[in-house]
Amino acid sequence: MSKTFDTEDLEDLYETAPCAYVSISPDGKVVKANRTLADWLGVAGGDALVGKSLHDILGFGGKIAFETHLAPLLRMQGHVHEIALDLLTPDGEKLPTIANAAEKRSADGRHLFTRLTLFKAVDRRTFERSLIEARVKAEAESKAHREAALLREQFIAVLGHDIRNPLGALAAGVRLLERKEQFSETGKSILMEMTGSINRASALVEDLLDLARGSLGGGFPVNRDSDAPLTPVLEQVVGELRRIAPERAIEARMTIEEPVFCDRGRIGQLASNVLANAITHGAAARPIVFKAFTRGDRFVLSVSNAGAPIPEDVRRRLFQPFFRGASRARRNGLGLGLYIASEVAKAHDGSIDVTSTDEETRFTFTMPKSGP
Amino acid sequence: MRTSEDCALRRHNVNVRGSGKRTIMFAHGFGCDQTMWQPVAQDFEKDFRVVLFDYLGHGQSDLSAYSAERYARLDGYAEDVVVIGNALGLKDGVFVGHSVSAMIGALASLKAPEMFSNLVMVGPSPRYIDDDGYRGGFSREQIEELLQFLAENHLGWSAAMAPAIVGNPERPELGARLENSFCRTDPDIARDFARATFMSDNRSDLPAVKVRTLVLQCSNDIIAPIEVGEYVHAAIRRSEYRLLAATGHCPNLSAPDEVTAAIREFV
Repeated sequence: MSKTFDTEDLEDLYETAPCAYVSISPDGKVVKANRTLADWLGVAGGDALVGKSLHDILGFGGKIAFETHLAPLLRMQGHVHEIALDLLTPDGEKLPTIANAAEKRSADGRHLFTRLTLFKAVDRRTFERSLIEARVKAEAESKAHREAALLREQFIAVLGHDIRNPLGALAAGVRLLERKEQFSETGKSILMEMTGSINRASALVEDLLDLARGSLGGGFPVNRDSDAPLTPVLEQVVGELRRIAPERAIEARMTIEEPVFCDRGRIGQLASNVLANAITHGAAARPIVFKAFTRGDRFVLSVSNAGAPIPEDVRRRLFQPFFRGASRARRNGLGLGLYIASEVAKAHDGSIDVTSTDEETRFTFTMPKSGP
Repeated sequence: MRTSEDCALRRHNVNVRGSGKRTIMFAHGFGCDQTMWQPVAQDFEKDFRVVLFDYLGHGQSDLSAYSAERYARLDGYAEDVVVIGNALGLKDGVFVGHSVSAMIGALASLKAPEMFSNLVMVGPSPRYIDDDGYRGGFSREQIEELLQFLAENHLGWSAAMAPAIVGNPERPELGARLENSFCRTDPDIARDFARATFMSDNRSDLPAVKVRTLVLQCSNDIIAPIEVGEYVHAAIRRSEYRLLAATGHCPNLSAPDEVTAAIREFV
């Protein structure tokens, strides 16, 4: 038994298709329209629309956009697709549609008319508008956050800057007392502790100022040159930390082919921060190995220590500002040391990485040895 | 070596074609880019040095140089016209501006009086919004509706695609192939330009315009109605007025021959 199909009626397909058809003359008048469009617009049949201007059935935004964007595009590329167009019903309501349009041209390229196919898109448009609203809201919120963050950083910068002066006065006062006055042993040890506290507070303020300069200035300030050797600077850093933590063994190996094109103060700061980090977090009974060397056109600085490995999720956040690991060690830092180290690295076109296994944790900084 | 002139020309995707003693610069209006002028401009290549460019944020201009602040007013665009003119050493040239560019050209002629000796304003309007005793054809609510349309129709623009279009000046065909590329604009920039255009009021600048001017008015243009064209003609002392048979807002595309003939007759 063979199956038979009803024949499609093309005339009826045009008239009652589940989308609207309208053809427009080059000067914007309706030449032909189907019944679907007539039904949407509440008029009796497509013929009732013939002779009307396209402008009469478009919302205002669509009208302007048609003249400024769609008509030129149609002339230049012959078609436009997926345009959100609002139709205007006779009672003034807007009917959201999605439109495709194409120019019908004669064999010699003359513009005969423009064909538009429109699909109702009420729900879709509601959805799209809610997406747009959500984006606008998200943008406003993120702008507010950025402004708040900027204000916070400016506050930190001003605060840090203004605290430096009273701290400096305190330090000078304590120095003066030590030199000029007679103290008992108790008095001397109190003065020494005061000096230590002032130094620590000054270091915290310097870190904060570095942070503020880095994020407010759009980059970390460095002054690179090749005018002096780097090795003595690093030797001094290692010496300082040995004095601060005399109970810890620090093995230092330096084979640097000078000069290194860098900001020596900053590289010293990087070395100091990474080394201090190893002293704080490394296994106390095992030595810390500090290496600084050049290889080819790279300068490499690495610090390794033994101890419990750093978990993966902590490792990822180590270089973020104000990050402090859940270590039991003393907590008198701001969590800026490694952040500043990584900013110094970036400012030298270099990078700092960390590897951590059961055997050792190692921070490695590398940068190009000579200037750009 | 890249001089600041080269940079300006590159930034605005300036194309110089043809040759002749005189220079004619075509400026696109709100909506698309320099391609809009192609059908008219090509006729002038045989006896003019023809200059085409894209305003910043449009066509294949350098998006990264865009500044919402600078382009909040038409003055920012007019300054760019002067920058391009200076980079080309332009003097006594012809400026042909479509739509909002007609006013931009008038403003540029005030900033650099020597640069242009002829100004052709195609569908000009010094103010789009109605005011006491003035009919511009638009209400504020209607402008909002237009801005909403622009927010909902990105015409294929996507941030991911923009670098491919903009970053390949040596492969223009890459841009040309992409759908809607002539009228594709970053939605934020399109919104800024729409605001700068439709919120503008440059009526008080018109009497100061000293260059010889031709006002080309379309017959049925909902963006720049006939009385607005007549207003511009009445306000600029040395102006001629011509009503085109062409309808719509873009006669440079719909009736390039008529526009070409009118400009030729004037210059």
